[in-house]
Amino acid sequence: MNDTRKGFLIDTSRCIGCRSCQVACKQWNKLEADKPGKERVGGDAQLTANLYNRIHFMERTIGAGVTWAFFSERCMHCGDAGCIKVCPSPGALYRTREGIIAYNKEKCISCKYCVSACPFNIPRYGEDDKVAKCNLCQDRVAGGLQPACAKACPTGAISFGNRSELIAKAKAAKKTLYGEKDLDGLGVVYALEGPPSVYGLPASPSIPLSIFLWKDVVKPLGILGFWGSIGAMLLHYVTVGPKRPEHENGHGEEHHE
Amino acid sequence: MNDYIDRFNTRERVLHWFVTITFFTLLLSALGLYSRLFTGYFNLFGGGQKAIIIHKVAGVLFFISSLVLFIHNRRRTTDFNKDDMEWFRYLGGYLSRKEIHLKVGKFNAGQKLFGVFIGVATILLGITGIFIWWPLAFPRWIVQLSLLVHGLLFVSSIMFVVVHVYLGTIGNPGTLEAMLWGKVSRAWAKKHHPKWYKEVTGE
Repeated sequence: MNDTRKGFLIDTSRCIGCRSCQVACKQWNKLEADKPGKERVGGDAQLTANLYNRIHFMERTIGAGVTWAFFSERCMHCGDAGCIKVCPSPGALYRTREGIIAYNKEKCISCKYCVSACPFNIPRYGEDDKVAKCNLCQDRVAGGLQPACAKACPTGAISFGNRSELIAKAKAAKKTLYGEKDLDGLGVVYALEGPPSVYGLPASPSIPLSIFLWKDVVKPLGILGFWGSIGAMLLHYVTVGPKRPEHENGHGEEHHE
Repeated sequence: MNDYIDRFNTRERVLHWFVTITFFTLLLSALGLYSRLFTGYFNLFGGGQKAIIIHKVAGVLFFISSLVLFIHNRRRTTDFNKDDMEWFRYLGGYLSRKEIHLKVGKFNAGQKLFGVFIGVATILLGITGIFIWWPLAFPRWIVQLSLLVHGLLFVSSIMFVVVHVYLGTIGNPGTLEAMLWGKVSRAWAKKHHPKWYKEVTGE
């Protein structure tokens, strides 16, 4: 996969918070405008089923002053993707050869397991009750083009290409990388200017513990347990055998051996 | 003298089989959600989305009926006593062919345990089911935990049910009749539930 895996390198030091990436994403993916609401610049701005990427304005204190750290959020296209792990509908969420976590709304059965399993809380459900998130402009990438957000970015904060080459380049420039190894490598690697917590990112992202226990422990053990209990009952029948009531004064149950 | 004595009345039997049907509907509609190995079971319901709808409807029906059954039997299933400890010690005599005599009332300790387990599981499956039904309305950690607990209870329920079906059919000849037409033979009652036999016949 590594040879064909594509990805983003997002250099937060270059982001100027212009939101060109959001506009380009909306336009290319033909996403409706969300109704204006309580949305504001800063903390509680969220992705929606019509907004696949978003620049967060994270306030941080440096010395006596306050400054913004701009954080461009979207699906991370994890190497080990929680959403794919839990999706019960084959082909609804899948990985392309470029490492894109793509989806097919027609196969989505609206169970919303992916919402719970995502380490980054990315998938959204809109009015159609189907999964919605960044698909890394799958169609553009398949045609050899850059994703809309990377194409629109005026400062080069978002670069797209072969994942391993982007990482090598960033390492040569002595950047601190986020997401190189986590979850078998994220498809979106960040060059951060501070600890991940400044950007609202988990220090070491992982599939939620309950989800791991559910899918990797309870599920296989459950199948084993079911057949095990059937096997145990059959074994009991041929070893100890059934308990038959004895004949008693002619009142017992009739049975013939 | 009548050869047979009443064990379960009509209401109890109908309720039991109603719970049974909803349980297996839940089981079949859940298989495709449980693992992609079982995706084919979605076809029984006309696809995954319809299987989910059936699962929700059956879930509500199972929750109510199973709870009613549990409440109906609550006195006889929750009164664990010294004789029950004795039953657990020998596992009801199921581990050997040797005849042992245990003091058993209408329900033995294993049946009591099964009853209480299914009762508690019903409540917890219902609660976690609500969170899984509307995952966007609750904090993510609650839904994540619910998915785990719902799966865990499903797995343990089905294992309990395998044992329940075995012991209620081929494992104990003469038992199924109690749930089919309500009566058991005197010999059966004396052997499996001597305390209860004395209670109802005075013998």
